Amino acid sequence: MSNWDDDRDADVHMAPPPPPARGALELEREREETPLELLTRHWMNERHAPEILPAQEALLSSILDHLRRQSDAVQTLRGDPSTSDDEHLRITLVQLDIERVKFIVRSYVRTRLYKIEKYARYITSSPDIQTRLTAAERDHASRHADLNDRHFNFSVLQSLPEPQRHLDDDVPYYMPPMMTTPDASKPVFVHALKDCPPVVLPDGTRHEMMKGHISLTHFSVVEHLVARGEAELV
Amino acid sequence: MTTDVRQYGELGTQLLQESRRSTQTDTLLKYNDTLVRSIIREQRDLEKSILSQIAKTPENEPPPPGVIILQTAILRNKRCLLAYHSHRLDRLRDLYWAVGGALPHILSDPDTRSKLSPHEVDYLRSYHSSAMDFRGEFSNELDIMASITVPPKELHVSVKVVKDCGVIQTELGTIDFKKGQRFVVRRADIEHLIVQGYLEEVSGS
Repeated sequence: MSNWDDDRDADVHMAPPPPPARGALELEREREETPLELLTRHWMNERHAPEILPAQEALLSSILDHLRRQSDAVQTLRGDPSTSDDEHLRITLVQLDIERVKFIVRSYVRTRLYKIEKYARYITSSPDIQTRLTAAERDHASRHADLNDRHFNFSVLQSLPEPQRHLDDDVPYYMPPMMTTPDASKPVFVHALKDCPPVVLPDGTRHEMMKGHISLTHFSVVEHLVARGEAELV
Repeated sequence: MTTDVRQYGELGTQLLQESRRSTQTDTLLKYNDTLVRSIIREQRDLEKSILSQIAKTPENEPPPPGVIILQTAILRNKRCLLAYHSHRLDRLRDLYWAVGGALPHILSDPDTRSKLSPHEVDYLRSYHSSAMDFRGEFSNELDIMASITVPPKELHVSVKVVKDCGVIQTELGTIDFKKGQRFVVRRADIEHLIVQGYLEEVSGS
């Protein structure tokens, strides 16, 4: 664990001033989060939330740019014969750090990809959800939805009698809907980053979380707190 | 129960049980073409019965209640069929990502290949190209196909070669990996070879 903290510190020192990626709320904090901390928070939120969350394109591209600059610097220093042993050791640490940040980015991207594939039809049928995706993710969602439909058509539907060949059946109330949708009532652990306005629990009672509190509740109850950055999922 | 007396939807249940077994044992079972075909036949028979029931009904009269049972059976069977295929697609995608998107690696494995239906092979190919398009959106710096199970702790890794895998570009130049040899290499360079089972990580030193 301490190792990880060291890595983070190392990156913090080398990081450029954090881009003003978020709004006024962020300013109220004692100090601004570094891009890496921000990414880690979004990564955790994305991992725990049943719904797909808004894409963090600006943050991600600034981190990728930074990684690229770091790697270039590492390459230059490694090629330089005047680099001392001590510096070589530090270069190794930086390289490891780069790999670790990449790991988080990768995991973040793949978590989103997993949700996009799982809810492809739901996403393509909802313009609201599509605004949360990057262009590449939107493309992938529609490609994926078509791909799945095509497979169902070839493997099953085209062999069935004509009236049964559709994927968008109106199903009776006792059957689950044809489209897979995220379960907003999934329980999540939520950690208040600041004093939050009270939320209404499913049974109607009000619940107020002070800074630092951790609660277990439905995702739909705290969705807006997470979106505003007042709370994070843990 | 003998095979010639069957309840509606019994075959569908069998199909779902296969999916469940596949989840419980965490394995990809062979595509059950026979069962899928039998259910599709059952669907056709059910459709015919519905049509004949409706044809027998005099005009301006509601169809007999039996039609509802037939209709329910049809819907249920259809859902079972779709659920079975959808479940398999999930497994195939898991399989695909578990080997870091190395499609030839999956398709050249005779054991896996024999379990796939021809449509599933097509599906994997299309999925692969779709995933590659998505990967292309990221810079060369970041390979989104690489492993996301364990965060990297060390830059280098000591590996044993289990299968010959030819000449590979690494940061130390090119290395010709031959079976039985050992190397210390940068993890990022050869991670995919570990995933695909060419190299084996040697713990310790």
